[in-house]
Amino acid sequence: MPRFDFVRAHTVDEALQLLADPRYVSRPLAGGTDVLVLVRQEKPSFDRVVDISRIAELKVIERRGAEVIVGAAVTFTEAADSPLLQEAAGCLVEACLAVGGPAIRNAGTLGGNIINAAACADGVPPLVCLDTVARLRSLTAARCLPVSALIQGANRTALQPGELLTHFAFPVPPIGVRQAFTKLGRRNAQAISRLGMAATGRLDAQGRVDYVRLAPGAVMPSPQRLEGVEALLLGQEPTDSLLAAAGQKTAEAMIAATGRRWSTEYKELAIQALAARTLHRALFGT
Amino acid sequence: MQIEFRLNGQPAAVEAPPDITLLDLLRDRLHLTGTKEGCSVGECGACSVLIDGQLYNSCLVLAPQVEGREVITIEGITAPDGGPNDLQENFIVHGAVQCGFCIPGMVLAGEALLRRKPNPTRAEIRAGLAGNLCRCTGYQHIVDAIEATARQRLSVPADALIS
Amino acid sequence: MAQYTQIGKPARRVDALEKVTGKAKYLADYHLPGMLYARALRSELPHARIVRLDTAPALAIPGVRAVITNADFSDRGSYGFPVKDQYMMACEKVRHVGEAIAAVAAETPEAALAGVAAIICELEPLPAVFDPEHALDPGAPQIGPSRPDGKHPNFLDREIVHKDDPVTVLAQCPVVLDEVYATCHQEHAYLETEGALAVPTPEGGVTVYASNQSPFILQGNLANVLGLPSNLVRAIQPPVGGSFGGKDDLNYESSAQVAALALKTHRPVRMTFPREESMIASYKRDAMRMHVRLGAERDGTLRACTFEGLLDSGAYASQSVFTAWRASIHAMGAYKYDACDVEINCVYTNNGYSGAFRGFGNTEVCAAIEQAIDEVADAVAMDAIDFRLKNCLRVGDETPHGQLLTESVGLPDCLRTVRRISDWDRKRREYAGQTSNEVRRGIGVAALFHGTSLGAEGSDYAASTISVEHDYSITLTSGLTDYGTGSRTVYTMIVAEELGINPERVRMLRPDTNTALESGPTVASRSTILGGNAARVAARNLAQVLDLAAADLLGCDLHQLIRSQESYVGPSEELMPWTRVVDHAREMGLSLSAHGQWTAPKIRWDHHDGRGTPYFAYHFGAHVAEVEVDLRTGKVQVVGFWAVHDPGKVIFPQGAYGQVYGGVGQGLGYALMEQVTFANGYLQETNFDEYLIPTALDIPEIHAQFVEAEFSQGPYGAKNVAEPALVPAAPAILNAIAQATGRRIRTLPANLERVLLGHDLPREGPSRQCKRGLRIG
Repeated sequence: MPRFDFVRAHTVDEALQLLADPRYVSRPLAGGTDVLVLVRQEKPSFDRVVDISRIAELKVIERRGAEVIVGAAVTFTEAADSPLLQEAAGCLVEACLAVGGPAIRNAGTLGGNIINAAACADGVPPLVCLDTVARLRSLTAARCLPVSALIQGANRTALQPGELLTHFAFPVPPIGVRQAFTKLGRRNAQAISRLGMAATGRLDAQGRVDYVRLAPGAVMPSPQRLEGVEALLLGQEPTDSLLAAAGQKTAEAMIAATGRRWSTEYKELAIQALAARTLHRALFGT
Repeated sequence: MQIEFRLNGQPAAVEAPPDITLLDLLRDRLHLTGTKEGCSVGECGACSVLIDGQLYNSCLVLAPQVEGREVITIEGITAPDGGPNDLQENFIVHGAVQCGFCIPGMVLAGEALLRRKPNPTRAEIRAGLAGNLCRCTGYQHIVDAIEATARQRLSVPADALIS
Repeated sequence: MAQYTQIGKPARRVDALEKVTGKAKYLADYHLPGMLYARALRSELPHARIVRLDTAPALAIPGVRAVITNADFSDRGSYGFPVKDQYMMACEKVRHVGEAIAAVAAETPEAALAGVAAIICELEPLPAVFDPEHALDPGAPQIGPSRPDGKHPNFLDREIVHKDDPVTVLAQCPVVLDEVYATCHQEHAYLETEGALAVPTPEGGVTVYASNQSPFILQGNLANVLGLPSNLVRAIQPPVGGSFGGKDDLNYESSAQVAALALKTHRPVRMTFPREESMIASYKRDAMRMHVRLGAERDGTLRACTFEGLLDSGAYASQSVFTAWRASIHAMGAYKYDACDVEINCVYTNNGYSGAFRGFGNTEVCAAIEQAIDEVADAVAMDAIDFRLKNCLRVGDETPHGQLLTESVGLPDCLRTVRRISDWDRKRREYAGQTSNEVRRGIGVAALFHGTSLGAEGSDYAASTISVEHDYSITLTSGLTDYGTGSRTVYTMIVAEELGINPERVRMLRPDTNTALESGPTVASRSTILGGNAARVAARNLAQVLDLAAADLLGCDLHQLIRSQESYVGPSEELMPWTRVVDHAREMGLSLSAHGQWTAPKIRWDHHDGRGTPYFAYHFGAHVAEVEVDLRTGKVQVVGFWAVHDPGKVIFPQGAYGQVYGGVGQGLGYALMEQVTFANGYLQETNFDEYLIPTALDIPEIHAQFVEAEFSQGPYGAKNVAEPALVPAAPAILNAIAQATGRRIRTLPANLERVLLGHDLPREGPSRQCKRGLRIG
């Protein structure tokens, strides 16, 4: 007796129909790197998977006006290989390259990464940093939700039954903005992120920060940009001591969000280095 | 359900339950035991295969997902005469094989890498192997074998290839 | 200098082709018609009495064909050497999470799992011991039976080395180090998990294929617990996907279980392990806590050493008695002392159980002593390599055990060579002057000695058979096995050398108790010396016959024969093909079949006094590691590694280099990222996502070199390389971290938290994942 049935959708509309079919409890399947591990460990809560990995609409990477659109079924490899994303979303590209190993990157998708919503998901900090909005569709409605609001906690999202994450959209960053992502794991590949950090930034002609965004990974229950840290930097010359102060404020923001947990003694120190260094790379390129 | 795809250069049609992995399909249904099961959670790469020329962990691919695709397993990596191809021969010559359990996956990873990067540095080779664990060799001879193959392939036009 | 045709020359590994093409069949690739699948019911409690075990419900599950328990075995399913305290299946109680209680054979793996789930097993939890420091407390829960000598039932063993009175000498030393070091359990993490396949034979016996290191021990264990004469039990080893010491006990049990099920069902039965079950149920390297005191003069002369070790053997003794003995012999390091006291105590706990793993006690103690040595070198402001050169063992020295080393001590050469090739002095100086608060480099060294073969563990011999077939191929057997180590290639090369033939003629049979000769266990890095010498003796015996036939054919005396490639040449300078010599030998009625046995030189160890000659030879080596430490995150990157070993004569160079690279990799993991956490007896790391072994991006380019201090009784002067390649890697890395950070990490692994904070962070330890892991199909 198979544990679940399999059906493939060829368009988003077809996928939504299949997901809404009341005869089944259906689950979208893209890369499978999370779902197949899940069904190994636990009896599945679904009885059918709907394969969305080949839906052309979900594989787009394109610029539409002032926005970049990335389909939810775009894999880490496809994202990293994309000249458009290399140009417009360098922190996302770096994060994609930091995931797993080549085979995981060929299969895993950005949409799957966000919907699985692991606390340590590497796609989260860059998407949040870029103010990415997730487009969700159901048979009856379509809505947009910032990624930072879509993810509500560890393995919890605001996705409603029957809804499918179809696209990500983020504004093209202003000209001259550099991007960086740093991952800290216990080994150099196939590693769960202990900490992550995404940053974008730009200096004006006087060497002062006129654009900065910062989003951490693996430290917040629900991801967000660290606007307090950004405010500290805006309009200032990013000296080493200011970047160190930014690091400290990052640690404070983390503790404010999570309280002191068993890992805080380590994370509150290490995150300062990650913040300062990622900001430095985003602002100076080194 | 019926799953139709191409396997090692030949058409394949298999009747299988929808909820098994490609790894199970290959090993249990098709009795192709060259692809190995090491961890079943996509960490070790012993189950590596090529799908449409790209490297995948077959333990994380649902069998129906290869419908219409081109799958290559270690059984499909040979020289035209059926013997070891240049990469496999280099694995032997450079001492890359010890217990051998990771080796099919390593060969596939090496082929996948050389398709994407025909002239890789040793660091790039290591990055290409980052999802394939080995407990015996410390990776060094494996890197040597792939590096030697890359050099040879660059100097000899498109001869020593997968059948 | 001897000129060899094969020895020390490049060679193709004899089984590489089948592996590289995917044609080699490992245990899980075996599929026989009518084969049943077996699965064990395993304890989800660390310590409990089996109150009720009702297997009847399992038999009602569709597809289930048989169920067994401990009651299905003779001698209560007991096994274990030298302490026979283990069971093929739990007997009356369970002593660790993952212990097998019953086993089911069914038509499909799913049915077997369903059968296991249907078994009614009531366990009455018992208080458990998780802290080895408290295992011998007066009120500690009793894990095993009471001891006849009245000692605490949780006490397993004590091993000592004793030379004079170190406590008095320490009191006189101007420089004294007094520190505690601790190592973690380590998981073997072979890529192929355990497995066994049993096939009932028409004679009422059973043939068992198992990815086990030592088929004869398997055969002996099975004969005993199945109540069969040993000639009805045949053990065959298929290609094995790595073992490193780890595929003994659990595989003995799995083999016994499938054998019993096969005999019951009259069908082949196979058991293989998903990774989670393998990790939870299999034994680990022991964890050890070590209190070291070293005393030295201000000029750096080592005077005294005391070493107290506490070894956590977990639920069963397994190899801990031997591990503790080897640990005691090596605990003081490869140095001379005026006085020395080593005491290693082993205790039982309910933390899984501990067994053999590459290095076998030396890996643990070397991690401590080589850090302690470094700390003393620092204290006397002496360079770490100079300090070792000043105190290390040389030919002509007496070891702290009282053994005179008369030959084959390559340690000083190893140290001098590794110093040169790593650019030690320049880097050591340069890194001492770093001021960065972000990233710093460090370079560290560690030396090792490693006794060859079994030492005082037991009688030490090996045997080979050899014969020329009608197609002129040569069939060779060995009682020792190759699970990735390359010994099949070494033996092939030796035979080719002795017979003067191409190695392609040689076909080694698979290890098989029906065709090979018992040679003791394949452990302790003894394959090259013991098995190599046995192969050499067998080949020499056969060569004598062929030489005789050649002389007869060429009409000359034996001493007039010379070889030209495979051919024989006599005074007439006529080239006589080897095949014609073989034909002639047959015509002469000579036997073209021979065997050879080699027995190791006798050693003598007095367990009571802690003195003697523990090993007949020692391997020596020195590792240098260069690290880059991120002072703000605790991340350590090993950016360079140099390993210089004295394995005696290197027979199969590529194989030897491969062992060094692989050993260094395992040592790097042991040092930095491999963490086994038992929380109330529950393993927390149950798959490769959480138990981290190094990837290709974690291990640097390794520069390896050999110093061949030949050993007169080894084949062509060879000793060994397998285990020693791992042993000094971790302390070399830890010593490098100490230079980089100025701080010592005395507990392994040196993970992110320990490097950054100086201590690890205790984390939550639920049992949920471990229990779930036992139920994964």
